[in-house]
Amino acid sequence: MRTCLAAIALGAAGLAAATCSKHEAAPTPSNLRAQAARFQRVGSLLQRQIELANGKEFYLVLDPGAPDLTLMLSGAELQRYPVIGLQVGEPRVTWITRRGPRRWQDVVWSRGELDPPRQIDRLVVQAAPPGKDAAEPETPPVPPTPEEMYPVPSRYQVRFDEGWSIEVRPLDVDEQAGRAARFRAWWSAKWHDVVAAVFRRDRDAVRLRIALSPKDAASLYRSLPPAVRLVILSQARPPAPARTPRPSPAPTPTPTAGKDRG
Amino acid sequence: MALAAAIGLLAGIAWAGTGYRYQPYADAPAAQSGKVPSRDRELRQLVSRLDRRSRDLAARLKATAPRGVYIVIDQTQNRLYLKRDDDTLLEARCSAGSGMVLKESVGKKREWVFDTPRGRFEVLSMLRNPTWAKPDWAFVEEGQPIPKNPADRLETGSLGEYALYFGNGYMIHGTLYERLLGRAVSHGCIRVGRDDLRQVWANTRIGTRIFIY
Repeated sequence: MRTCLAAIALGAAGLAAATCSKHEAAPTPSNLRAQAARFQRVGSLLQRQIELANGKEFYLVLDPGAPDLTLMLSGAELQRYPVIGLQVGEPRVTWITRRGPRRWQDVVWSRGELDPPRQIDRLVVQAAPPGKDAAEPETPPVPPTPEEMYPVPSRYQVRFDEGWSIEVRPLDVDEQAGRAARFRAWWSAKWHDVVAAVFRRDRDAVRLRIALSPKDAASLYRSLPPAVRLVILSQARPPAPARTPRPSPAPTPTPTAGKDRG
Repeated sequence: MALAAAIGLLAGIAWAGTGYRYQPYADAPAAQSGKVPSRDRELRQLVSRLDRRSRDLAARLKATAPRGVYIVIDQTQNRLYLKRDDDTLLEARCSAGSGMVLKESVGKKREWVFDTPRGRFEVLSMLRNPTWAKPDWAFVEEGQPIPKNPADRLETGSLGEYALYFGNGYMIHGTLYERLLGRAVSHGCIRVGRDDLRQVWANTRIGTRIFIY
């Protein structure tokens, strides 16, 4: 995330540098308007990220410029997933594309949940009644590894409340599998897409298709917390900065002591 | 026959054109919002003001990121990461909560769920050679009567050399069962191997942030 922050800071500074150089070259009003619009976008993106960082919810930051997808909480980068491919999908019926809402890049997507959901099989143990001659507790079996517990589908989505979604596709389905497996995957995807486009107009009005490496796709599926939010950064990378942003004051840590309950 | 073929062809064309149309990702064009001044000077002032605002916001965002060392725990994959700014100092296998449900068969018929909490925490206290004050569920699980004397709850050695307490009875601590690291077997605490725990201990202070997802 520090890379993201640095990129944004550099962006802001770069825009400032561009502004200075434009001053020298007497910019046209239309250039100034474009700069103002870009500054506003950078500002609103920063504002949204600050709000997310100050909240208590987990959030994903999609940086199409990097490109990567980062899981974050309170401004801390928890896990970063390099994005190999990024596409935007819009539903279409008989070749007629239904345009999604225009502002989907400018808002925070909320309450994202995995589809299909990650199943948790809880072991329920009824304790034996206590007694002096209670038998030695049986040694519990070795529990499965996360890989054994959570099989990852070849294609899954994170659905958000707004009716938009992220579709994650591990690359191996496309490149490493045999012809028959690839055809099955293609047919299944096509079938689901047709059903979604025709019958489920409230879902997937915008779909971001993200290709991750199989390892990252599996990791994201196994680790994604519930009710995650998403913010999408700007793809554009402005020129290198002439100035660096002002340093911010360091927050004073406030350790809490004396609450240890053992 | 020809009609059926034509219908089939049309259906095929319709099928082919139904689903999702994917295009490479692109930014939407930046649109000016609010009132735009028409005069050059005012426009320059607006750009300058927006520039300052962006810088301030960038500094505020930077200030939200944790500084110094912090701990990140992936409880599903049972991994602990010790980080300093952008660097990962340590990636260790750990054991998070098993998710098991324990039901008491007599008395109050209580129920415990052994999950590790998600969210942001901080190290509240650090204990060397910690003694475990066993909670009720530990006795229920073993089929033992719950002792009335608090001293009978104390157990040494089972938490390893160190414990980092982060609230509500949860700790990062050592384990006697290192062979189970990497699997979800704990009662909600985070178990770490001896060598990794020493490194975590050496880099941690009271107030160090812990992020669990």
